[in-house]
Amino acid sequence: MPSDTIRAALIQRLRVSSAIADEDVKEIEALPISVRQYPSERAVVRDGERASECCLIVDGFCARSKTIASGRRQILSLQIPGEIPDLMSLFLHVMDHDLTTLTPATLGFISHDNLRKLHRRSPRVAEMFWRDTLIDSAMFREWIVNVGQRPAPARLAHVMIELRERLRLIGRVDGDSFEMPLTQEQIGEALGITAVHANRVIKQVRQEGVVEFSRGRVTVLDEQKFQELADFDGRYLHQSPTL
Amino acid sequence: MPRFHFDIHEDSRLIKDEDGQNFANVEGARKEAMLTGTSIAREAFVAGRADHVVVDVREDEQTPCLRISIRLEVQELAGDQPRTIA
Repeated sequence: MPSDTIRAALIQRLRVSSAIADEDVKEIEALPISVRQYPSERAVVRDGERASECCLIVDGFCARSKTIASGRRQILSLQIPGEIPDLMSLFLHVMDHDLTTLTPATLGFISHDNLRKLHRRSPRVAEMFWRDTLIDSAMFREWIVNVGQRPAPARLAHVMIELRERLRLIGRVDGDSFEMPLTQEQIGEALGITAVHANRVIKQVRQEGVVEFSRGRVTVLDEQKFQELADFDGRYLHQSPTL
Repeated sequence: MPRFHFDIHEDSRLIKDEDGQNFANVEGARKEAMLTGTSIAREAFVAGRADHVVVDVREDEQTPCLRISIRLEVQELAGDQPRTIA
């Protein structure tokens, strides 16, 4: 795979959200990344494991999750190309949650050693990655509010709009529609409800003419209703260097 | 593994579960029905959409083998009852 394809989404994201300088782009372009293919629903790194590398999503979708003793799983975040969802493993040595593929995925692995060297060479890149992990925690705060306070249809709409705004940054929104390759069960796990309740909620938002969700794709039917239902304020995504 | 379907009734509206889910036994399906029923009822009651939620659990196209029924009862109490302040 050509080197610029591997890093394209990451660099595009950093250009928009952190205004990365050209010389720092060169540093990232020079970073050794080993690419591996993963099938869907495969653990990339598990809760309790000690990681020695970080994972850049080149293509495909992943999720971070945690499973409680009864076996029920909470999806904590959806992760898309250009993101390094386990960046914190550079400093937090033992994983405290799972990172799993949702779809077949192309993943690029960057060794902790090389990331440390890059940080020492370029403090600006280190700051950018630091900012990335802070945005990560802002998203977790929003996710807690979502699951804890909003009714289920609003929760679904919020998760959908968040995903769309992040996909937009890497040029992966196609008019009114975008990818959300989750099963009903996985949607339930993201919203803290059962698969059957998730199915009920998906039918409800379709009947109300808000969004259509089928075969892993969301199509917005009424943008205004969608925004109102989600109660979405995208500031927490900090998608500009001034935010 | 048997496949169970969970049909939801919100008052008289029926939402049929075409897809179904696999569970090792009826016990697993019962737990799922309980979680589903209580979470749908909470939302339907709060939204004022219904005051009776039923989950019918069936194996494939068979008749239901389990029914979970959750009803909202709100009593407005008369305002002229004596109130005591300790």
